[in-house]
Amino acid sequence: MVPALVLWLAVCLSGTWAVDRGNFKTCDQSAFCKRQRALKPGQSPYRALLETMELTNTRLTLQLINDNNKVRLLLELYRLQGNMTRVKINELKPLKPRFEVPDVLIQEPPTEPLSLLSKDENGVVLSLGAESQRVIVSAQPFRLDIMEGHEVLMSLNSRGLLAFEHLRMRKDTQADPEAEKKEEADPANQAEETAKDDEEKVEDGMWEETFKSHSDSKPNGPSSISLDFSLPGVEHVYGIPEHADTLKLKTTDGGEPYRLYNLDVFQYELYNPMALYGAVPVMLAHNAQRTTGIFWLNAAETWVDISSNTAGKTVFGKMLDYVQGSSETPQTDVRWISESGIIDVFIMLGPTPYDVFSQYASLTGTQAFPPLAGLAYHQCRWNYNDQEDVQSVDVGFDQHDIPYDFIWLDIEHTDGKRYFTWDPHKFATPKDMLEALMVKKRKMVAIVDPHIKVDSNYKIHNEIRSRGFYVKNKDGGDYEGWCWPGNAGYPDFTNPEMRSWWASMFAYDQYEGSMKNLYTWNDMNEPSVFNGPEVTMHKDAMHGAWENRDVHNLYGFYVQMATAEGLIQRSGGVERPFVLTRAFFAGSQRYGAVWTGDNAAEWEHLKISIPMCLSLGLVGISLCGADVGGFFKTPSSELLVRWYQTGAYQPFFRAHAHLDTPRREPWLFGPENTALIREVVRQRYALLPYWYQLFHHAYHTGHPVMRPLWVEYPQDSATFAMDNQFLIGRDLLVHPVTEEGARGVTAYLPGKGEVWFDVHTFQKHNGAQNLYIPVTMSSIPVFQRGGSIIPRKVRVRRSSSCMENDPYTLYVALGPQRAAEGELYIDDSHTFNFEKKEFIHRRLSFANNILSSINLAPDAQYSTQSWIERILILGASKPSKVTLKTSDGQERQVEFEFDSSMSVLTLRKPGMNAGADWTVALQ
Amino acid sequence: MRCQIIIAATFWSVCVDSRKIRGISLSYKRFYRERKSFLCIDGSRMVPFEQVNDDYCDCEDGSDEPGTAACPNGRFYCTNLGFRPHYIPSSRVNDGICDCCDTSDEYNSLTWCLNSCRNLGQRERADLEGRMRTLDEGLRLKQQLIEEGVHIWREKQTQLIELQQVAEDLQVKLEEHRRRKNTADRLREQTLMALEAEDNGPRRQNRTITSIFHQLDSNNDGSITVDEVQAKVAYVEDEERILSEDEAVALLGGGHQMDLTMFQHMLWNNLRSGDSIKIKGTHGALVGLVDEDPNIKAAGSAAERAAADLKKVEEAFETVNMEISDLTKKLTIDYGADREYLFMNNQCYQLKVYEYTYTLCPFNQVTQKDVSGTEVSLGTRAICGFPTTHLASD
Repeated sequence: MVPALVLWLAVCLSGTWAVDRGNFKTCDQSAFCKRQRALKPGQSPYRALLETMELTNTRLTLQLINDNNKVRLLLELYRLQGNMTRVKINELKPLKPRFEVPDVLIQEPPTEPLSLLSKDENGVVLSLGAESQRVIVSAQPFRLDIMEGHEVLMSLNSRGLLAFEHLRMRKDTQADPEAEKKEEADPANQAEETAKDDEEKVEDGMWEETFKSHSDSKPNGPSSISLDFSLPGVEHVYGIPEHADTLKLKTTDGGEPYRLYNLDVFQYELYNPMALYGAVPVMLAHNAQRTTGIFWLNAAETWVDISSNTAGKTVFGKMLDYVQGSSETPQTDVRWISESGIIDVFIMLGPTPYDVFSQYASLTGTQAFPPLAGLAYHQCRWNYNDQEDVQSVDVGFDQHDIPYDFIWLDIEHTDGKRYFTWDPHKFATPKDMLEALMVKKRKMVAIVDPHIKVDSNYKIHNEIRSRGFYVKNKDGGDYEGWCWPGNAGYPDFTNPEMRSWWASMFAYDQYEGSMKNLYTWNDMNEPSVFNGPEVTMHKDAMHGAWENRDVHNLYGFYVQMATAEGLIQRSGGVERPFVLTRAFFAGSQRYGAVWTGDNAAEWEHLKISIPMCLSLGLVGISLCGADVGGFFKTPSSELLVRWYQTGAYQPFFRAHAHLDTPRREPWLFGPENTALIREVVRQRYALLPYWYQLFHHAYHTGHPVMRPLWVEYPQDSATFAMDNQFLIGRDLLVHPVTEEGARGVTAYLPGKGEVWFDVHTFQKHNGAQNLYIPVTMSSIPVFQRGGSIIPRKVRVRRSSSCMENDPYTLYVALGPQRAAEGELYIDDSHTFNFEKKEFIHRRLSFANNILSSINLAPDAQYSTQSWIERILILGASKPSKVTLKTSDGQERQVEFEFDSSMSVLTLRKPGMNAGADWTVALQ
Repeated sequence: MRCQIIIAATFWSVCVDSRKIRGISLSYKRFYRERKSFLCIDGSRMVPFEQVNDDYCDCEDGSDEPGTAACPNGRFYCTNLGFRPHYIPSSRVNDGICDCCDTSDEYNSLTWCLNSCRNLGQRERADLEGRMRTLDEGLRLKQQLIEEGVHIWREKQTQLIELQQVAEDLQVKLEEHRRRKNTADRLREQTLMALEAEDNGPRRQNRTITSIFHQLDSNNDGSITVDEVQAKVAYVEDEERILSEDEAVALLGGGHQMDLTMFQHMLWNNLRSGDSIKIKGTHGALVGLVDEDPNIKAAGSAAERAAADLKKVEEAFETVNMEISDLTKKLTIDYGADREYLFMNNQCYQLKVYEYTYTLCPFNQVTQKDVSGTEVSLGTRAICGFPTTHLASD
């Protein structure tokens, strides 16, 4: 079987190394996108009926009418707490309800009062609370302008591209005679109806659409929506993942729009706007003065067009404009098009990048706080063949003294791709295997995909079928598609009862062979349907009352939600889950980790992992990683080493490989490469306290862990398009080597007047410069910001939990003012007890030659055995004496060493407990 | 905090007195002789002796912390009394995982380790003994197989030599028979030519008719009687049955006697065609028989015999040669240094792995058969170069 599969795959894979674009729709092939995109900017047919305006304390409602077809829409406008404005537009009287996305917002967003500033026949001016922010509603043509002072922050429908395809009866063969009669009987409406008829020309693809051999029955007819946004003064927009493209989004004039439609794309191409596995309809706009965001809450297939008035200009042209004081301000125009649902858009007004992150987090929640082990190194491959294989890989790591925390099992571990089961021969005694890993304080992840083998001898299938939990096809039967197990059903994860049943399947007594060190990976949850249109589910498949068309992009989000809930429940709510997903939506950050799917062992794929994870971080999903080494194809040992060096400094650090590729455990490439990989994995483990602290922070704030430079240096336009380097938190800057045969890289160190320290040599460099760094195979250019304190555990052991009680080394990098600040966060590393105030959170600060540890959470309780074994002060001068003072008033001299060549002061074994109050004074 | 410092201080004072340096082997003891200061083994640095094993890494080479986890590149010596001593990386000291069987690596962790050195030692010794026994047994078996191999080899060699001898003999015989066949063929041709030269058809035929008549006329009285017909003539379909008197009378043209002239015109014709009656002990039509001149007959059968003999010899020669080449081929295969694998020749072994059954016929072929019965050949002549040790454990 396995040899046959390998052969089959080898045949299938050879010669087809790029995505088959023909399998996926262009805008032109997607009927609604084509219709919508055919509308050109101009006078909007929509008019606000000011007489219908109702203003309560928290909400403004207003009807809009389309003067062409007389269909009325209802506009709702809310001022939300935290400097956000919500705009909802739906049909006033839709033929049937239109889908509104549930479960993504963590609560009904709290509102703030709106007040009327002025009103005349042309429009209304409302105050958006403080900061002299106003929204102007213009009546004809309808548009919204959000202002601050005299500045327009954002305009809606300023290009007249609001288009709302109202639900309608089918006029041709299937028309309802009753409705016809009614219309005729109402002479008052006659004029309007005539107009309507004109408008409602039946175009191709309105009631039925065919792509390749798949037809979409479209029983509800056309239902798409569109709205444009203008962003004056903006030249840089980001976000709307997932695309294999640069961090800065490109204009789409004359090309394809960015597409958001969760798809299993085989061997995706780089640098293009094609849809990938996940979708977060959130865009950030940035200039040196302000950052704003647009959250388009819609789960249907969505296309985003971006245009810019400066896109075509050369740098010289821009400079000329500047010198000549050209009147034209740069502007970016964005247009969102979705196939169904309503317009529900959250305008996040910043003004700083961190404000936008917080605003978005207040809507959809923050990053799940992973167990510490989840931030350590993960060893994966399709597939570890059997228990013996797992054991020998485990032993291999110990023999080569490389730490790892998780070993992963892909689909072959199951009994015939029946998830929640084990292959009776290869994994006959999973508990023995898990027990052996547990003794080593290591863990395992096993895959659980959402496609369920149709097999009456399979418990999971029988239960889902008998409970009616499967997605239905358009004729009401269980929807079936082809996936790994052959014929498969797809549970309706939008159904809360289904989700809670699914969660219950992870209980130790349900999931046979599972133990508490077994965690879960949800793959193929776009969902992937091998024989479906665009390798996914038919749009007319039914999830309860809603079509897949309406809910498509939510499927993966719900799968991960239900799985994470299962892992929480099995431990009685005590343990934090770890679930990796491939498909995602806005809010997926609450449930675990995301990876960038099936990439390839190519240098360009290594490079793109940076912007792909940066884009996800900007929209709340911090726990992101790419398959280290590349999934398809075979990396050279140079590429593999470079990928480890890059991946070790990205949030989710997992090596993975295709079934068809030769084995690539770290020790298979000669002792030199083994040593290089060992070194970088050890660097990762040493830095785990910092990663953990950042994820704790992300859990509370929604701030990204891996950040583009512009987020920290929002006024430095040199950073705006930078995506070959990034920051981890505020304090580490990483410029991975991603070029084959590289002999040097040029890193940009931001911050005028700031300093950066090379973390390996402690050499000091000034900020605001391009720094050329010669590199060898062992080089990973990483810099610590002067002014920061980073805790590390330099006693690297077999796995992260072996290091639990180990002492800390503090790296104090002095800033230009000879000051530095940092934090230290400690908890039990795997339970929710931190929510019950069981943790240590301390501020470390250095000023006036005194380093002190101050309790940031006096009401929290936790004790640790970890102590401070060493303090390195970078950029220091030599003291005559160093005195440690503990909270009980005791004073003691601390030995030290001073390296004058690099100005590094090392305090030897101060020895205080990491949770205690203390000060260290340099004299 | 104070408490910790006091405990640590007491710990040191106790240890400094009768210091047993943790984590080093006997051979390294000389580096750790108690003095005022300690020189890192790589010579890079001198530190106060109190800093040896004080849970802080001072030496680049990790030598000041042989008994703690403080140095990233250090190593810890497990004495493992009763078992084998060995080094582990320092990072495995007090990490909550039992690595040394004497539990010495977890002297300060919450994990409770059981000293298993004695057991391991015993087990290892037993294991070793078992392995020795197996090895001895294996070697004994191997010796047997070698002997067996030598025996088989010799047998085959003898067989080969014998066969070659036979082949040589056959070669001689073959030539002899070829010669004989040629002579016989030539003789028959000459006889035929001579006969044709003197041949005048009717006379020869008359002579034949007369001869048959005399054959039937048992008592040589010049006429054939019913008795004589019944005695010598039979129906072709049923040779065993004796003709009835009526049938005999009918053959004699309705009378009870028949002279040569009548015979020539009546019964002869019946006998000659051979489709209803025949002379007992002959095969149907008389023509061949009666046409056969005794000389020709003799020459013909001599030639046929010679041809048949030649063919037999040829076949035998071919068979012998095939056997020789088969045997030679088998004898050229590598059966191991001492021909210890020779016994596997002509044997097959089966292995079931999940749904597959693998059949290995050493020096012949390997096949894979799945449950549905589909058989795939995986190659021929598998296992050459079996490691010799394998056999010992087999």
